[in-house]
Amino acid sequence: MSRSHTSITKNILKNRLCQIIVNQKYKEKKFKIPIHLALGHETIATAVSEIMSQNDNLILTHRNIAYNLARLGSIKPILAEYFLEKGGLMDGKLGSMNLANPDRGIVYSSSILGNNFAVAIGIAMAHDLHRTGGITIVLGGDGSIEEGSFHESLLMLKSLKLPALVIIENNEWSMSTKINERRHTINLQKFCSAYEIEYAKLEGNNPFSYIETLEFCKKSSLDTKSPICIEVMVTTLGDWTMETPEFPKGKFINYHAGPTPSVDVTHGLEPLRKTNEDPVYVLGQLIDDTNLTQLKNEVRMECNDFL
Amino acid sequence: MKYIEFVNSTLKQEVIKHSKLVLFGQNISAGSCLGGLTRGLKVKESSKIINSTNSENSLCGFGFGLMMGGINSVFFMKQLDFLLLGIDHLVNTFNIIRNLDDFKTKASFTIMPIIVDNGYQGPQSSLNNFYDFCSIARIPGYTITNKLDIERIIPSELVKPGFRIICVSQRLFNEELVTPEKLDYVNETNTIFQYDTGKNVTIVCFNLSFPYGVELSKRLKTNNISSSLFTVNSPIEGEWSQIISDIKRTKKLVIFEDSKSINTNMTSLLNDALSSCQLEKKIIIKRKIEEGWLNPISDIIEINYDQIVSQLL
Repeated sequence: MSRSHTSITKNILKNRLCQIIVNQKYKEKKFKIPIHLALGHETIATAVSEIMSQNDNLILTHRNIAYNLARLGSIKPILAEYFLEKGGLMDGKLGSMNLANPDRGIVYSSSILGNNFAVAIGIAMAHDLHRTGGITIVLGGDGSIEEGSFHESLLMLKSLKLPALVIIENNEWSMSTKINERRHTINLQKFCSAYEIEYAKLEGNNPFSYIETLEFCKKSSLDTKSPICIEVMVTTLGDWTMETPEFPKGKFINYHAGPTPSVDVTHGLEPLRKTNEDPVYVLGQLIDDTNLTQLKNEVRMECNDFL
Repeated sequence: MKYIEFVNSTLKQEVIKHSKLVLFGQNISAGSCLGGLTRGLKVKESSKIINSTNSENSLCGFGFGLMMGGINSVFFMKQLDFLLLGIDHLVNTFNIIRNLDDFKTKASFTIMPIIVDNGYQGPQSSLNNFYDFCSIARIPGYTITNKLDIERIIPSELVKPGFRIICVSQRLFNEELVTPEKLDYVNETNTIFQYDTGKNVTIVCFNLSFPYGVELSKRLKTNNISSSLFTVNSPIEGEWSQIISDIKRTKKLVIFEDSKSINTNMTSLLNDALSSCQLEKKIIIKRKIEEGWLNPISDIIEINYDQIVSQLL
């Protein structure tokens, strides 16, 4: 296994374990703030972090934990921020939903769907005027593409000839509602085509192919001075079945916010789902057992203080 | 010189001074250039003028994004009601920026809308509620109505670290520029201006009502009544000591307030005046919201100056 593959694998595993630690403390009611976990988003977060250079910027949503962990590589300052401590990542001023880390390129995170696309246009133009050569990467979810600002922002990025990667994490849910329960299908590829914006799709959670595609898109966007839209299929893990008087046999609940009751610290680094919807499961298909076991042990050691 | 010609010429002198300044908005370099507001603006080579898309919400976010990236910008807007589409950014995005030391001093973002206060617009475009925009997130805001406040506010506030909204009056666009003879006082934040000091009456003008106050001041003078004349240029100003000390001396207060908002800081001044001054006379001239107020009617406030003068004699 190459050095970079080792590091990428380890980052994904660490991202998972850190989120499980946060979930455990959340279940123990140790936080006053709301946190949106992103179990299942570890591959795309790690891949985005891998392609970022010093001058690049990342603009996130309220579900930013996986990206903040990927960029920082450490849980301690993030936990301190969640505890609203002065020594937290942003001195306890931002909490979870707006957590940023300008030193690592994360300049803005917004809890308002679609709000951050517009801010990303300004940041992209600032790169252009400062001639930094950096790219702006902005994240949104499948719910955010229902907002008018998504349309406005793609049009502005294209009209102003600004390089940017617009990454849409499609987990097919908006809070507790599935896409097909609330709206007609949006064909994002056709939508982008209408604006003559290139489109790429990522699925399957193979981090190495994700990185390859993202690097290609980044170079292409910078070369052509045009945004590229990337739809990435993700499964936000941590769902459970809730029994209610209306659903005595239980109703499937997609994970949105709060601690997920179906995930426990005893899960450790075992896959939460044995399909390619789970990044940790996919690593088991890509990496040989000996290497993977060793990396899991290293990650457990590094996080031991928080377990 | 007309009001809009002076605003435009002051803007021209200001924007040419700055490097890496982005001016943007719909039609700012096309057609009438927003009724002459942005006509002929020139910027340095490192700056940009963007005749933008019709995307008011995203244009507000764009300005804040530029600010985070260290680029100064001004968003010119044809009418205040368009800014309703950008409220999310005025509140949510601005709240993040001013909470972080890195950003709040990094660059400047100014939105410059026209308040369409000349009337006959119908239910939408006649929005004259600048107070509500500023109040929702305690946004620094300024109105400009005359030569002296324009000369002071545009050079010092248009491009300055932080975010603010500066409004101009469409009603005044083609009026002769009001040119006070002197400026007796202006506070550090350019939000309270005093143009005259008299011994009989204190006149305070809110929002875009200054021309009404000037007219009253002139008529009082012909009746040998001398008046102090103030403008309150910011909807979030609440430090009234200069005005209160003047009212304590004259004991007579006339307030002009010409917005359509209930949420005006005029009431704050009035409260302070009533609690700390022994008022012999108070006259409040404000817009009457009557049936049909949303129809395309005149927005000019009809003022019976003779009656006011007789009450102050």
